[in-house]
Amino acid sequence: MSNYTEGILILLMINGIAAMGVSLLTGFTGIFTLGHAAYLAIGSYTTAILTLDYGFHWLPAVILGGLLAMIVGYLVGLPTLKLMGDYYAIASIGLAESIRLIIENWQSVTNGARGIPGIDTFTTLPITAGFFVVMAYGAFCLINGRIGRAFKACRDDHVAASLLGFNTPRYRVLSLSISAFYVGIAGGLYAGFISFIQPIMFDMLKSTEMTSVVVFGGLGSMSGALLGTTIITLVTELFRPISQYRMLIYGLVLVLVMVFRPEGLLGRHEVGPALFRKLTRRVTPAPGERGPL
Amino acid sequence: MGTFIQQIINGLSLGSVYALIAVGYSLVYSILLFSNFAHGGFLVIGGYICYYTLNLMGTNIWVAGFAALVGAGFCAVLTERLAYKPIRERTSVTLYLLIASMGMSIVIENIFVIVAGGRFRALPPVIPTTPVDLFGLATTSAFDLLSLVAAVVFLGGLQLFLTRTKWGLAIRAAAYDLRVAGLMGVNVGRLISIVFFVAGLLAAVGGIFLSVRYTLYPQLGMITIKAFVAAVIGGLGSLPGAVVGSLILGLAEMLTAGFLSSQLRDLVVFSLLVITLIVRPSGLFGKDIKEKV
Repeated sequence: MSNYTEGILILLMINGIAAMGVSLLTGFTGIFTLGHAAYLAIGSYTTAILTLDYGFHWLPAVILGGLLAMIVGYLVGLPTLKLMGDYYAIASIGLAESIRLIIENWQSVTNGARGIPGIDTFTTLPITAGFFVVMAYGAFCLINGRIGRAFKACRDDHVAASLLGFNTPRYRVLSLSISAFYVGIAGGLYAGFISFIQPIMFDMLKSTEMTSVVVFGGLGSMSGALLGTTIITLVTELFRPISQYRMLIYGLVLVLVMVFRPEGLLGRHEVGPALFRKLTRRVTPAPGERGPL
Repeated sequence: MGTFIQQIINGLSLGSVYALIAVGYSLVYSILLFSNFAHGGFLVIGGYICYYTLNLMGTNIWVAGFAALVGAGFCAVLTERLAYKPIRERTSVTLYLLIASMGMSIVIENIFVIVAGGRFRALPPVIPTTPVDLFGLATTSAFDLLSLVAAVVFLGGLQLFLTRTKWGLAIRAAAYDLRVAGLMGVNVGRLISIVFFVAGLLAAVGGIFLSVRYTLYPQLGMITIKAFVAAVIGGLGSLPGAVVGSLILGLAEMLTAGFLSSQLRDLVVFSLLVITLIVRPSGLFGKDIKEKV
């Protein structure tokens, strides 16, 4: 396998881990985020600083990066996720910009706007694949388990969910924390992949990109988020020569998907035997599979 | 003392421009209950129309300003018709509208990047920036006073429109409950168009003053994040709240720039947001959110 193909595969899996994080929050809990680049930045800066300045091994550094992102997510979620509505969307932009500004101005630790060069390139294909498989397994277990069902209940009808005894603000904060952990891990791996990080890489465009791939793939489908990431990453690679149109295409994709297929490519279906059976079946659905009415 | 008064005037002037933007954004939020992220795009459209009318046709500022306001208003209506109407008619999920508006914001920004180029443009010197002596207390720029006056005039006009006209009454009714207003015989489609026209018009006024204060470039629309933050501090959907929040924000920003460091001003803005959300979650003038089942 050539270096180029290997690089793209690694990038695909890193983006996939981040997309699963965003999908958990936006797709499964119904909270729109425009600031997830902040958690990516926390993850990659923590990893870079711990390995370079404190001589940590990369594995604990990446995991600590994820945990730090998780703690920040928890602290941010506490005041902003008690409310419904667009409060978190706006607060997330503000938070992401603040974190970027802190990184840019905290010269002594983060080397400011010049960035941190020379990070050990520990992110090889087997390591990324290992992380990806573990994180994906965790994500699928989570969404099919008790907590995942509570997330979906918060998304679909938070009033009904709270009447059933779910503490919906707590589940929203939990969803944000786990989501931040995923994105933080992706950030750590990303730092080890490109070996040079700079605050400007984690601006609002990055946040928007992360959310748009998930919307494109399907809100409420983990495999949809992965499919969306794969398509968008590969398309970006193919269309590198016309990169000035890239953001325009992202924007148009968002609008067109919302107008024509708001549930995204896969909707709420997961890729698997069930979807295959659904596509090939012609008779009316079995009684248990009918909608709520 | 002189510096202090000067910074207060600067802050009020900046805050009044934020208020023009935040009020339009809040007006749309109060009717459709979603954050219109494309609002920054309307501001940029207004700025570019003003720039090209001044430069290519050589008109005076009044004609160019009028063209910018009407043009931005129509673009706002067009945005609503193309991107939001199909979604709004099909579902009541405001998350879809939010994502579509994010997409429209990227589309508008990148159309200007491709068509007009990403470089910074200065408006011709149509708005005087000569220093004015204020009763011997402080010296300030005529521009700051003008933008304050313009904001007062336009916000006053909006207030008259909302309280003294039939459509104003309809808008206030729709802010209370859009569906019931429709049942009472209000033409909802036209009402939403009017709201978007007003929002685009106010954004264009802000856009012209911002492109004189800073310069004109496609990403100028990002500054609306500050106006969004101001609207959240004042309480989402409340117009007086948006004005008060904007003035607080403008003052905080200018006083930080004047007495601490101008790098910290954005951090102060976002800390204000977080503090408001912790202390008074629904903002200063926000409606207490209680949902009916």
